[in-house]
This record gives sequence, structure tokens and C-alpha cells, in this order.
Amino acid sequence: MANARNDDTGSWDKAAIGALFDPRTGSLDRRVFCDEALYRLEMERIFARGWNFMCHDSQLPNAGDYLISYIGEDQVIVVRDQTGRVNVLLNTCRHRGNALCRAEQGRAKSFVCSYHGWNYALDGKLIGVPGQKAYYRDDFDRTRLGLVPARVESYLGFHFATMAEDAPPLSEFLGDVGRTGLGMVCAFGDIEVVDGIQKNIVDCNWKIAVDNLFDWYHVMYSHASAGSAGILNLAEILFPNNQLVMLGEYGQAISGPGITKEMQVQIDQMSDEQRIEMSKDVARSGMRIRPRSADALMGPVGVRSMGHPNIFPNLWITLNGMQLCLRLPRGPHKTELWWYTIVPKEAPAKLKQRMLRTAIHLFGPAGLLEQDDGENWSQSTRSSEARSSQTLGHNLKMGIGKDEVITGENGEHYIETCVSEHGQRWFYRGWTEWMAARDWAELRANHSAVPEGIV
Amino acid sequence: MSSVESVSKASFNWADLGQAERAALQYSVEQFLYAEAALLDARKYREWLTLVAEDIHYWMPIRRTVTRNDLEFEFTKPGSMAYFDDDHELLEMRVKKLEASSAWSEDPPSRSRHFVSNVRVLGVEGDQITIDVCFHVYRTRLNTDVDSWVGRRTDVLRRSGASFKLLKRHIFLDQTVIASKNMSTIF
Repeated sequence: MANARNDDTGSWDKAAIGALFDPRTGSLDRRVFCDEALYRLEMERIFARGWNFMCHDSQLPNAGDYLISYIGEDQVIVVRDQTGRVNVLLNTCRHRGNALCRAEQGRAKSFVCSYHGWNYALDGKLIGVPGQKAYYRDDFDRTRLGLVPARVESYLGFHFATMAEDAPPLSEFLGDVGRTGLGMVCAFGDIEVVDGIQKNIVDCNWKIAVDNLFDWYHVMYSHASAGSAGILNLAEILFPNNQLVMLGEYGQAISGPGITKEMQVQIDQMSDEQRIEMSKDVARSGMRIRPRSADALMGPVGVRSMGHPNIFPNLWITLNGMQLCLRLPRGPHKTELWWYTIVPKEAPAKLKQRMLRTAIHLFGPAGLLEQDDGENWSQSTRSSEARSSQTLGHNLKMGIGKDEVITGENGEHYIETCVSEHGQRWFYRGWTEWMAARDWAELRANHSAVPEGIV
Repeated sequence: MSSVESVSKASFNWADLGQAERAALQYSVEQFLYAEAALLDARKYREWLTLVAEDIHYWMPIRRTVTRNDLEFEFTKPGSMAYFDDDHELLEMRVKKLEASSAWSEDPPSRSRHFVSNVRVLGVEGDQITIDVCFHVYRTRLNTDVDSWVGRRTDVLRRSGASFKLLKRHIFLDQTVIASKNMSTIF
């Protein structure tokens, strides 16, 4: 485990970080989108510290299957070894730092460095060093120079990794809200990730992309042309204007359209067959009514959500769990978007094909919806860098003081409302707490409990 | 050679044609491609759509950086994820979107230039002609955005009167991670 920390906060002490966002006014300092020191601190205090999504189990069916993923800007090899375990290893040779894997996915028996031929097993052990006897004259301890592993834990087949030795278990980090979000992906049965991850680069800060996933305000306007072209019925998704927001610890949140309590009472009485029948006409928007088995995965409040979970910090669960989108920071002004497409394993081939095409046609760089997002995000990022524009707050005031957090029978915290910015405010509030805390002990002690009462 | 690349080895009887016939076919195919490219560059999307067959398959698979041993996985296969997997209805939606007054990603409109080269007729079967071309789609947006998409296409053209209709366009981009905020473009 890497233990040396780059904890240089520059001029950003606790008070300065705390002042970047005021949840009472919803005003966010735009420097969070462009400041280099803040960005470096994010790499340390959010990405190296948090649980980062690596892959779903179905992406690595056999021993030796690997793919490259990221913890912040650290490339990691995610690989299944001969024992069936999924390992996450820093993709850097312990000799000169060269990358072991240059392909983004593939099959390997071991990882051999192209520089001097050091050879690592699938679990990261250093198993071969050319010239160990002849050149190093056997003065060499291979056991100390394996590939550096991250901690790996899984929930419902989703593998997550962290560099933090002091991180709490994944399930505590996810909390009810994170688990409900991942449960949404599996709500129609066991899943598999379809071959092919779409990847593209947008000139924007990664947080602007995250901000946007909670943003149901922009849909009617940004995506009006997709609606008028007929790819999907925006009104079907947005009206009636019932929105359900769920807030969890450590910045976890779900926000978007919700099924009303009254409607859910009717759904609860329906068989799975009746639910499928009822969902027939909404296939394109993906807003299908979930089967009974979803109740256990999502809880009585969670099953009513048709919104967007974000697993803090950067994993968006979209379209009723049909896709995941990972937002990978590449410097303060660049973000790589990775789209994973999900189908239920047992779904009929025809339905799988339809789900696949819906995903292709709506999202990804050529998707009729997604096409219109990138430029908004890059222009917003750009104005955060300019001297005078920078001083104006990023405005997140919608709905402040207008709604009440309800506590459900299982302790869920949720808000029934119209389109609002509760989700974004909760995300940025979480962000300042992660950024201000020196370590997990401090974050655990000082992070906000989910609010109660008027928010 | 990956299995998708080998699509370009379609059988053909090109050699059986006389030289004059071959030259004439090559000429008319190239003229069709240039005219089509000119319509896209001139943003005449609706007119471009008239060159597209009702049963078109317009497809761009995902390309991955893989080792030599894994080249069979370089491109996703049909039925897996892709960047484009369109029929005529979908292409018409793309055109409708481009025409909409609220297509923000194309307002102000991009400036694009479609280059087509290395045009090879691979096969002639009945009224269908399979060709393989290299392309370069160059796009600039706003004042400083530049995108450059280079790759290879397998097109199938169907004879239609004195000209052709586009029956298949399979686009194999050279980029793996797409270095663009979007592809609000027709290739």
C-alpha cells in the first residue's frame, strides 16, 4: 500500500475550503473548477481516499482477463487471478516506473515490463527479474517489490478500490443511498456489462459533469432538440413534476423523477407480468416499472426513484440503471467520460438489443441527448478561469428552505419535491468536507449527518 | 488482422470487367462520394438523406487499444456497444435534430470538411457495389475548437437510376478514446 501522502494544501486550509461553498445560499466559489492546488488536493483527499468504481464482475470472466482503470490519475490494472480474485494493482513497474500494461483491456498470463523485463504475476508478486544473479549478484529481495495493490471490495458484483488503509468498509462508504443506487442497476435481475465502453474527452472540470447528473432543470432546455427530433418523450419523464431526492452520508445522493406514494401503492398490488405490460410503451426512455424483487435491493423509498444516483464522487447511474458513466478527472479542465452499458443477463435477446440501441442513441458522444451537454460544461469551466467571471458564484439556490426531509420507516432520508438543486448542494457540501479532512478519522468525525427538517 | 477488418475482403469480379468499365465505375462511385461529402459540408442534411437507402445500416463500432495477441477484440462486434448503430429512422432523427432551432451543439454551426480518398471498389454483386475508402472529417467549432477524425469506411452502394443510394456505412475510426466533446456529426 502506498503510504507517502502528498498533503500539501497550499493556501487551502480548512477554513478556506469550508468557505468555498455556502449551503445556506447555494453559492459555490468558481475556483473549485480551475484551481490547480485544489485539483491536486482532490487527487489525495477524494480519489486516493475514496472507494473508486473499477468494473463489474462480468467484465472479467476468466483468470488473466484484465482492464485498465483509474484511481484519480493513477492508472491501475484490474485483473482476475488464478484463484478467481479481482486484484487492483498500480500500473507502474517498481524499477523505473514504466507502465506494465499499455493496452486498455486484454488477457495476460503475467505482466512483463517492456523496459528491463521484470515480470509480475496476476496477483502483483514479482516473479522474475532478468539478471538477478548475474547483475544484481543475488542481492535482491523480490518479495518487497511487487506491484502495489489497492484495497478491493465489492457490492452486487461491482468492484471498488481505494488507496486508503484507513478507509471504512465499502458498505459503510456507500451507505443506504449508495447501495440503493447500485441496487437500481440490478433491479431487473442479474446483469452483465455489454462489450464496449464508450470513451471520450470533454474540456470541463469533472464536478460540472457530476453537478449535471442531478440537474433535471436543464433537460427540457438543453435537450429540447432531442425531444423535437422524436428520440424520446421528455414530458413522459418530467411530468408530472414529482421529484424524489435521497441523501446519504459522505456525499451520496439520488435525485430525479419519483413515483408517488399513491401510485406505488397501486404498483405494489401488481404482479410482475402486469408491471411488464404497463411498461411496454415507455421502452425508449427506459422508465420501466421494476419487478417485486427490486424491493429488497432498493427499499420501499428507493423503489420509487426513477432518478439518477451518484456514487460519490464520480459514478453516475443513469436511465433507470441501464448505463453507468464514470467521470475521470484529467487535470482541472479535462474529463474523460466512460460509458458502461448494462443488460439483465436473462432478458430476451430482442429486449437486450433494444436496450443497447437506446443507450447508443441517447448517450455517449454521438448520443442525441448527450451531444448537447459537453459544450455547456466546457464553457462553464472556461468562465471559471477568467478574472472577473471567476468571482461570481456558481448559483445553486433552487429550492432552498422550501422542502422538508422526511424520515422513512427504515431510516431513509428523502425529500418529495419538484425539480430542485438539493442533490447538487449535497454533493458540493460533501466535497468540502472530504477536502477539509486530513484523514478518514477526521472525515468520519466531521462529515454532515443527513439533514432533518426544512432544507 | 481482426475479423472486422477482414470484411473488406469481400469477393468480387472486378477483374472480369474491362478496363473502360472499371474506370467508368470508379469514376461514378467517386463522384457520388464527393457529391455526398459536399452536401454534408454545406449542411444540406435533408438533401443528403435522399441519397440514403431506406434499409441503411450506419454503424461505428468502438475501437480499443489492445496487444497484438488480442487484435480480434480491437473492434466491438455487431450487436455489442457502438458509437453509431443507426437505421434510416435514426438518421432522420439526427437530421431533424440538426435542423431544430434548439440544437445547441450545432448552433453556432460547426464547420466541417469531409475528405474521401483511397477509394477501392472491392466487389460488384447484382446492383450492389462494395467499396473501401479512407476518410478525414475535419471539424472546427466556435473560435478555437478543432476535431479531426480519421479512419476507414466500408460502404455499400446500391444502384439507383443513374446514381447510387447508400445502403451500408461501417465506420472504423483510428482513435480509441474519442478526443472530442461530442460527435454531433454525420460521417
